[in-house]
Amino acid sequence: MSTVDTAEKEKPLPENVSSFGSTANDGNTDDAQGHQGGLDNQQNPTTKENGSEKAESPDQSHTPKELGTDNPLDTEKELPTATGEINENEEEVEKAVEGDPTTEAASEVEEPSPLPPDLGKVSEEIDQYISSLSNSSLSSKNDDENSNVPIFVEQFAVLFEAKIDDYDSSDNPVKWTRLTDEDSASFLEAVNRVSKLLALLSEFSSDYKYAYSINRIGSVLQRAMTYVEEEFRSLLEEYKIPDHQDPETVVNNPSSSSSSTNAQDGGEQPPHTNNNDNNNNNDNNDNLGYSEAILSELSRLAKAMLVGGYETECCQVYFIARRNALEETIHKFGFEKFSIDDVQKMNWESLEREIEAWIRTFKQFATVQFSRERKLADAIFVDHAATSEALFSTLLRGIVVQLLNFSEAVAMSKRAAEKLFKFLDIYETLRDVLPKMDNGLLPPQTLDEIKSEASLNRSRLADAVICIFCELENSIKADAGKTPVPGGAVHPLTRYTMNYLKYACEYKDTLEQVFREHQKIERADSGAGSEFDYNTSQADADGNQSNQKAGQSPFQVQVTKVMDLLDANLEAKSKLYRDLSLSSIFMMNNGRYILQKIRGAGEMNSLMGDTWCRKRSSELRQYHKNYQRETWGKPLNCLMNHEGLNVNGKVAKPVLKERFKSFNAMFDEIHKTQSTWVVSDEQLQSELRVSISNMVIPAYRAFMARYGQYLTPGRQTEKYVKYQPEDIETYVDELFDGNATPTGRKKL
Amino acid sequence: MPATDNQGSFLNRISIRRNQVADPNLELEDLELFQKHVADRLSDLLPVPTPTPCPAPAHAPAPVSSTPKNHANNNDTNTDQPSSTSVDSPSADHGPPPPPPMLSISWFRKLLDVFLCCEAEFKAVLIMGRDPSQFCKPPLDKLIPDLLDRAIKALDVCNAVTHGIELLRHWQSLAQIAVTALEQRPIGEGQVRRAKRALSTLLTSMAFDDKESNNSSSHKATERAWSFGRRGGGGAAANYGHNPKDKPAGTFRSLSWSVAKSWSSAKQIQAMSSNLVPPRGAEAAGLALPVYIMSAVLVFVMWSLVAAVPCQERTGLATHLPVPRQLVWAQPLIGLQEKIGEEWKKKEKKGTAGLLEEMQRMEKVALSLVEFADSFQFPLEDAKVEEVAVQVAEMADICLKMEEGLVPLQQQVREVFHRIVRSRAEVLDVIDQVGKMSTPVPC
Repeated sequence: MSTVDTAEKEKPLPENVSSFGSTANDGNTDDAQGHQGGLDNQQNPTTKENGSEKAESPDQSHTPKELGTDNPLDTEKELPTATGEINENEEEVEKAVEGDPTTEAASEVEEPSPLPPDLGKVSEEIDQYISSLSNSSLSSKNDDENSNVPIFVEQFAVLFEAKIDDYDSSDNPVKWTRLTDEDSASFLEAVNRVSKLLALLSEFSSDYKYAYSINRIGSVLQRAMTYVEEEFRSLLEEYKIPDHQDPETVVNNPSSSSSSTNAQDGGEQPPHTNNNDNNNNNDNNDNLGYSEAILSELSRLAKAMLVGGYETECCQVYFIARRNALEETIHKFGFEKFSIDDVQKMNWESLEREIEAWIRTFKQFATVQFSRERKLADAIFVDHAATSEALFSTLLRGIVVQLLNFSEAVAMSKRAAEKLFKFLDIYETLRDVLPKMDNGLLPPQTLDEIKSEASLNRSRLADAVICIFCELENSIKADAGKTPVPGGAVHPLTRYTMNYLKYACEYKDTLEQVFREHQKIERADSGAGSEFDYNTSQADADGNQSNQKAGQSPFQVQVTKVMDLLDANLEAKSKLYRDLSLSSIFMMNNGRYILQKIRGAGEMNSLMGDTWCRKRSSELRQYHKNYQRETWGKPLNCLMNHEGLNVNGKVAKPVLKERFKSFNAMFDEIHKTQSTWVVSDEQLQSELRVSISNMVIPAYRAFMARYGQYLTPGRQTEKYVKYQPEDIETYVDELFDGNATPTGRKKL
Repeated sequence: MPATDNQGSFLNRISIRRNQVADPNLELEDLELFQKHVADRLSDLLPVPTPTPCPAPAHAPAPVSSTPKNHANNNDTNTDQPSSTSVDSPSADHGPPPPPPMLSISWFRKLLDVFLCCEAEFKAVLIMGRDPSQFCKPPLDKLIPDLLDRAIKALDVCNAVTHGIELLRHWQSLAQIAVTALEQRPIGEGQVRRAKRALSTLLTSMAFDDKESNNSSSHKATERAWSFGRRGGGGAAANYGHNPKDKPAGTFRSLSWSVAKSWSSAKQIQAMSSNLVPPRGAEAAGLALPVYIMSAVLVFVMWSLVAAVPCQERTGLATHLPVPRQLVWAQPLIGLQEKIGEEWKKKEKKGTAGLLEEMQRMEKVALSLVEFADSFQFPLEDAKVEEVAVQVAEMADICLKMEEGLVPLQQQVREVFHRIVRSRAEVLDVIDQVGKMSTPVPC
């Protein structure tokens, strides 16, 4: 290779440089500038091919540096336009990049520079130097003290710095992904070399002769690391939020990495990364937000920073970028931040929506997002498990705390009956989702912290749930209206209570758990309960429950209590009816409704038990009998009590006439009033009608059969026999229709 | 935890007594004791009035705040001295451990302890053995809802402060980068640039936080700078504080650590204190008093946290809390509040990120180190090296204090949060009982 020759030709140089190393007192910054200036010249042949950069390099090679140190903001502002230019000249640039090695070699031969221009060659020397330094024992190091730092250290510094300048020019930095594999690899090797070299040289920091070189190499390392850090950051910031609902649609990061970066995504990247990018984003199930190719670049850059002692910087960059990414993701799932104060003031409808969004977000994060985040950290910080774990757990903690804060705020919001079910939803989410995070992703300490926060949160929700549920008692007690429901129909309170209970029983298991684990029996003495842990108070509560009916769970006890209260309330309401029959109908209606609701829902049924249901049924039958007796006792008596009809073996006609008249009148009256009564349960309605018909019609038939003949057919019969047995049936079927004007069919 | 121990014994005492008799005299005594305890605890936080004969000039480089004895004048004189050093020997002095420097992390930890103790005692006075029906009668019927509302607002402040401490930890690690870099020998350009880059980011972030919070019209007011200085090798500091147009927004990726959109800690404090009225006349002897005292303490604690730690939107933060001077128990509170209020006024003029002692020092040292970096030339004269070493040592000391103190402080803020939530729930329980006992009247 020709470069070897070049290097050898330059042999006289070492003394030259080392001497100037020892006279570095007179302002090495100038020297550095001088070298850089030289480098710029030297670089010109290379950049000549390089369409876009060529135009800028002559007059800008100095100014950007000044800008860079004084005012990064300005250069930042120029970035978008600069990248725009890159896009225009994209093809040329790529050609130039590919062509680089050859042109470099060519320039090396042609250039009559005082420095050996081949970085590769100098690197080998550096590597040897490094290994000799690290292999030599301490004593031999002391021997070395007399020897100067070899010239190629300076050469290496100059060459590598030139390369950094090339990549990291402050107005037009080269994107990391635009470097060829070869270039990026050699760059990172060089970074690694610099940091090793610096570490070794620093062992001689007491020796003044080394000071210049340490300064020089330290400076180069800092420049290199700045570039690496920037590239690490900008790659990190170009993530895509993996879409949960539709993995096909990869949503672009909507915010700050604005249109310019998107444009770069599209065109600027070299073909090899571009392909991978597209493939991976769409195919990869475990979409981490970055393509495989980008991930491996990130990992390489991170490694360079960690190895080079820039771990803090690296972690900061990573943390901020991922923190932002997670914030965006959380927002994308519809979770909005609200202050606790806001939540208290929010109307329930809006809050309900927010709770749904919260549940969605929380589940998504706990089941998918967090494990992705962990995978990402592990993929980037390969071989640095501790770093990856620390970063991940801090990130996760931040998000979880935010999420828990919302549910905390909800648990504190004003308690109201309609909130019960959403509260239970949150409770279940916390209960079910949290264990999913217990999958080894988190260090135990963070996990414990999150768990204890979540369990506190759950206790508070449970308190609220219990309180709301027990409020049902109060609302039943409070319902003391004096106006009876017209027609003895099902009372709204019954409907409300039963529907509420039915809905609540869809959460039966959770409610059982809530009552079992969190119910505080002695709420009165809250002072005593104030300072100890909720867990111990649970245990306490369990102990106190021994006085409850054996075999009944606390929730059952509570529901039974509610049912008893409802019964008592209905009982009182039934007294509001002056008509005892109507009172019975009212009790039947309501009792029937309750029973239907309970039987209709399996959870309810099992909660109340068969015995309870049987008891209720028999009570209903009792009301039915009461009704029959009250309403139909007299008419039936009229038909069946033959006393007075037969006088000395003869039928007393006037009495008979009177019987017919009074039966007719009673039946008319019953029909008139009771067809306005309401039995909305069809089965109950038909049961009632059938039972009435079965009672009245046979009696009527029998009465007719026996006494009808005594009335003179024609006028008399028409007058006294108002109803045929069939008519009775028709009219009975009109009962309990709730018709305000039951006259319609009467005319038939 | 010391707080819990105190209250444990106290609760026992009260509950035993309450269970015995409902003697009005004893109750009066409880109220008096409560006032006394609050006053005692708060005055422990006051700086020692006169610096004990401490041969301050004898220590050649006057330590900024390491010896707590000094912190009394720390506020006026020492703080203006840009790069005084700190020898890290916190309580090398004789005698009992003096109070930590005002507004330092350890001072705040003590303050929160005081809060927790007062709160426990307050709850004992208010709730234990009390007839719940009192909660629905004047004056409590009006005071309790306010108390609960204030509790809610305090919770948001706690959250904002937690975020603020998070940001402090971020700043701490930036400062730590500078310390690590500048502890290298020889101090080279690379190290200096590395340190400057980190410090510039630190200062920009501090200024950003501050500026943003002074600019309420900006929709980014709720967001907070959490970023590293961008490309350009830490030039940001050159603009720090000079050119307000150079908002780092372009170069900064800001991160919303906010409580909620358009949430403002200043407004929150305002809302907490606006309906805080001392009881008058006959009420002043009853339960209205402890409710007032506790609310005043709560507002004071929250207010001082907001003033000290970077907090979302602090524009217009009150410099004064309306606590009447004639109240005996309130003297220490007024004293503390005046001191902090003065500091805050200064802060508003100077524009620092918060009153936290460590943070103010950090900012000062950072500024001076950036200055050093700007004029840096290799190699450094030995005298210069010494000078920088002193500053770096101070920065290292600050970092250490933060390292040791911030996490516990954050945990304590969380403890306060949970305590407030729990107490609120207990009060609600009592009201609930009243609701169940009487005919349901919305209480």
